[in-house]
Amino acid sequence: MTIDTKILLRIFLIIALISASQAIYCQSNQGENIFSPENRLKFGNYLYKEKDYLRALPELKEYLKTKTDDTTQFRFADCFFRLNRFSEAEYNFRTLFSSPTLADESRLKFFESLFFDNDYAALREYSERNSYSDFKYSNEVNRLKYISFFFDDSILPKENEMLNAFPDSVRPQILNYYLLKKFPPAKSVATAAILSAIIPGAGKIYTGEIGDGITAFAATALSAYLAYSNFHNDHQFRGWLFTGLTAFFYGGNIYGSAASAQIYNVRMKFDFQKSVKLFFEERNYFLPEINF
Amino acid sequence: MKIKLSAILIYLLISPSAWAQSSLSIQFDYAEKLFNEKQYFDSITEFKRLLFIDSDGQYSYRANLIIGKCYKEGAKFDDAIKYFSFAAKNSNAPEENFEARTQIIRTNILRRTTDRALQLCDELDTDPAFVDKKDEINYWRGWAYIFADDWKNASLVFGRIDPNHELKILAEKTEKAKVSVTFAKVISYILPGAGAIYCGNFLSGLMSAGWNLLAGYWTMNSFAENRAFDGIVVGELVWLRFYRGAIQNAEEFAVEKNLKISNQSLRYLQNEYKGIKP
Repeated sequence: MTIDTKILLRIFLIIALISASQAIYCQSNQGENIFSPENRLKFGNYLYKEKDYLRALPELKEYLKTKTDDTTQFRFADCFFRLNRFSEAEYNFRTLFSSPTLADESRLKFFESLFFDNDYAALREYSERNSYSDFKYSNEVNRLKYISFFFDDSILPKENEMLNAFPDSVRPQILNYYLLKKFPPAKSVATAAILSAIIPGAGKIYTGEIGDGITAFAATALSAYLAYSNFHNDHQFRGWLFTGLTAFFYGGNIYGSAASAQIYNVRMKFDFQKSVKLFFEERNYFLPEINF
Repeated sequence: MKIKLSAILIYLLISPSAWAQSSLSIQFDYAEKLFNEKQYFDSITEFKRLLFIDSDGQYSYRANLIIGKCYKEGAKFDDAIKYFSFAAKNSNAPEENFEARTQIIRTNILRRTTDRALQLCDELDTDPAFVDKKDEINYWRGWAYIFADDWKNASLVFGRIDPNHELKILAEKTEKAKVSVTFAKVISYILPGAGAIYCGNFLSGLMSAGWNLLAGYWTMNSFAENRAFDGIVVGELVWLRFYRGAIQNAEEFAVEKNLKISNQSLRYLQNEYKGIKP
């Protein structure tokens, strides 16, 4: 073996060692199974942070098939929540009720899921159960329960009970909403119809349609006058024609006034709910932000 | 001996990086296969996985571009634009940058945000890197005008590419076939029913003219016979009603006809045109 060969062999050995270590490095990073549960979890968490909840779900699910991890389970449930799949969110948050670290947060999210699923009856029922009511976020849940009364036709709780659940700064507004909900300024359909039967157009004016009311009165009065005038001048055909027209205007106005009252009530209810929703949405329903 | 040693050395030096390379390329091929099979949801997931493991950003351009295309196929235009923008940002060559930016323009065309599409075309137009791409830029500008129902400008822009460009001829034909809504209304003011006839609705136009003639006769006759009240009632409730109806009809017919003509051209572009589409 010549000296050159010996040097070459040494260089070869050194490079071989470096290459081997590189290979091991690559094996452990780039070359590893990207579909292993751990890598799926990493990818799932990345998607979750990117707010791609729909794609995060199967990744986290695959991981949870192999290991139990409360944080991952919570994120898994939260993906359903953020995708507005509240029933699945409820089910998955419920599995964390006995978690040593995330029990309180899971309970809160469970109640939030019920609320946003419009399942107000269940929200109230669960929130009043002892096993569900005593935890870190029970005040928040209590508030959610009271807010839910604004969105359905249940009997309202006592004024003080409701107001005490909210901070002082918003109590006047809550009281305003409470009173509007309890004593809605609705218009009576019967009153509107009767008023229009007595004075054509009065029912419309009663429901706030002043222009329509005046027009209805003028049209009915004019056609009635024309009917009278034609009969008076012995124009029988025209007399009956305008009599029919007057009857049509008169009857139509009574019906229109009743409909107008109904429309008014529906619009008022819609505006009320929209206003309440906006008020609570702006304040995130007084819920804390839970970030992972 | 020396040759053998050198060969082994080269192999040992290249093999680890090649191995890592293949791992990413396998994932890329898999994601691309899903894209080619039109499984866009899964393709996006796998490209995102690729981007997640591709710490060097080797596939940033291509992965983001195809994710954008997947979103575009699913009509998620906002997301598509987001990923095409990432692709443009991560492009390594002017060609790649141009491809990503034209994809953004094409998505804006589909999203009907024409002003934005035209603005992006202008930006590309003024970019010195793309002076040789004028025709392609004009091509997409023309498409933006087509989607904005502005066939006149579309014809002008396609004409800049080639005076005999297929799309120029189509846009010109479409523009010529269209009727003027204002003209239809104006002639209906002068002669009720004329607007409808101008739009090709002969029966409706003649009926309208007939009703107006009859109602006009009743009105005039009432006044001629000193029945002023009858004249006012018939004039107000019958004649004026037909007269206004004829004008409204003319406008509706003109708008409807123009829409039909545009849709016919768009249908041709969708089903029969062989060139690249947005």
